[in-house]
Amino acid sequence: MRQSILAAALLLMATPIAIAAGPQDAVLANLAAQAKAADVGFSTFSAVDGKTFFFSTHSGGKPDTPSCVTCHSDNVKAFGKTRAGKVIEPMAISVNAQRFTDMEKVEKWFARNCNSVLGRDCTPQEKGDVATWLISQ
Amino acid sequence: MMLDVPSHGPVWDLPLRLFHWTLLLAVLTAAVSGFLMPLNWLNLHLIAGTAIIVLLLFRLVWGFTGSSFSRFSSFMFSPSTVLAHVRALRKGETPHHPGHNPVGSVMIFALLGVLTLLTITGVIVLGGAEKQGVLKALVSYATGSATREVHEILAFGLLALVLGHIAGVIFESRRSGVNLARSMVTGDKPSTEPLTIAPPRIGAALAGLALTTLVIGSTALALWQLPAVNVPHEALDAAYEKQCGDCHIPFHPSLRGRSTWTTIMTTLDDHFGEDASLPDNEVAHLSDYLTLNAAERWDTRAANVFRGTEPLRITDTDFWKHRHADVDPAVFKTKKVGAKSNCEACHGDARAGLFSAQAINIPQE
Repeated sequence: MRQSILAAALLLMATPIAIAAGPQDAVLANLAAQAKAADVGFSTFSAVDGKTFFFSTHSGGKPDTPSCVTCHSDNVKAFGKTRAGKVIEPMAISVNAQRFTDMEKVEKWFARNCNSVLGRDCTPQEKGDVATWLISQ
Repeated sequence: MMLDVPSHGPVWDLPLRLFHWTLLLAVLTAAVSGFLMPLNWLNLHLIAGTAIIVLLLFRLVWGFTGSSFSRFSSFMFSPSTVLAHVRALRKGETPHHPGHNPVGSVMIFALLGVLTLLTITGVIVLGGAEKQGVLKALVSYATGSATREVHEILAFGLLALVLGHIAGVIFESRRSGVNLARSMVTGDKPSTEPLTIAPPRIGAALAGLALTTLVIGSTALALWQLPAVNVPHEALDAAYEKQCGDCHIPFHPSLRGRSTWTTIMTTLDDHFGEDASLPDNEVAHLSDYLTLNAAERWDTRAANVFRGTEPLRITDTDFWKHRHADVDPAVFKTKKVGAKSNCEACHGDARAGLFSAQAINIPQE
């Protein structure tokens, strides 16, 4: 009995934390686990590095898509546009809460777009940095 | 010489005169909408064409039941009579005919004949090339498309005939001193000899019109209700619409041939300059869907013109470039369009693979 009260109390205490924690936490935790697995020295993701990566012009990818901003536009709170004219929903969490809530979707688009822009897979560090920055926006 | 004081009906009876001027209006509308207006005004052309069909059917009945000079029998002349009339005119003689003269009658039959052929070819083009109208279930795209050439040649022929008709009216009006255009308004035409004009046979006319309406109308209605064959009508596959529609409009499978879809689905890692990779099971499902519903299965215009394998990009094909040559290039850069490949920005029925003329609407900024 006492144990179950304790468990309930702990659950109640934990609940506000779970709500305060963003719906993007699971994705970030997954990316962090990948980063640790790839590099034992991994400490944390950097929003500053993510922003720089997002705006950089990269090489090694396909000529029509040298940068993230080619399609996502240089305003992450605005709509982007694919080369075929299709609208892309904003990337910033403040205007599009759905971003970085579905790990499968995150991996699908990082896989495709990193290959298009850089000609290789992104490292977990790069993915986590970009995600961290966009989640802060 | 005494002018006949009309104690009878007019030379050109009222229904004939109404026919003449309504036909002029309908032909003018058909010509302007067909030659000059953008494709998406096709409905106006169809309304004009339908009016011409109705008028021609009326004229057919009236040619047997109208008053004397409306009847075909009053202006059916043998070739030798026509030639004799031409010879007389050359000699400066003034042969008089109260109704159509022999040369004029040739023009009337030519006009009615070409108009009849224009409406018939028009309905064939509409059925085969546009998959609309009463022949959509019976005519192939190939037939409709080839008939379009005939329809256009006939249209230029009609223009020439109309000019000849007007020239003939001016010539004959000057020669005879009778304003023939005015006669077609008032119905009266001064005559050098007493005329007996048989009145219209109203009962027979009404019976003829009722029968024509019944036969032609019920046939047209029955044909109209037959569905067009080999025209897609199912909604797009949900997975296709989702997966492929993320980056571009989901192009209808009929817009590419089977082998082209196979090429596209086996090279998704370099998909028109981007990586569009998908899991193997998705690729398998989409490939099955696309090859099953590829251009080879359909007889729409889009399926026919985009069936070929080269070039891979639809907007690089000669047909696409030719058809969009008149579109201001700036349109493709507007906010609502964005890219040439965004078909449905202007073609309201692009997703269904139909691309009908009436569904074209270029968004204005």
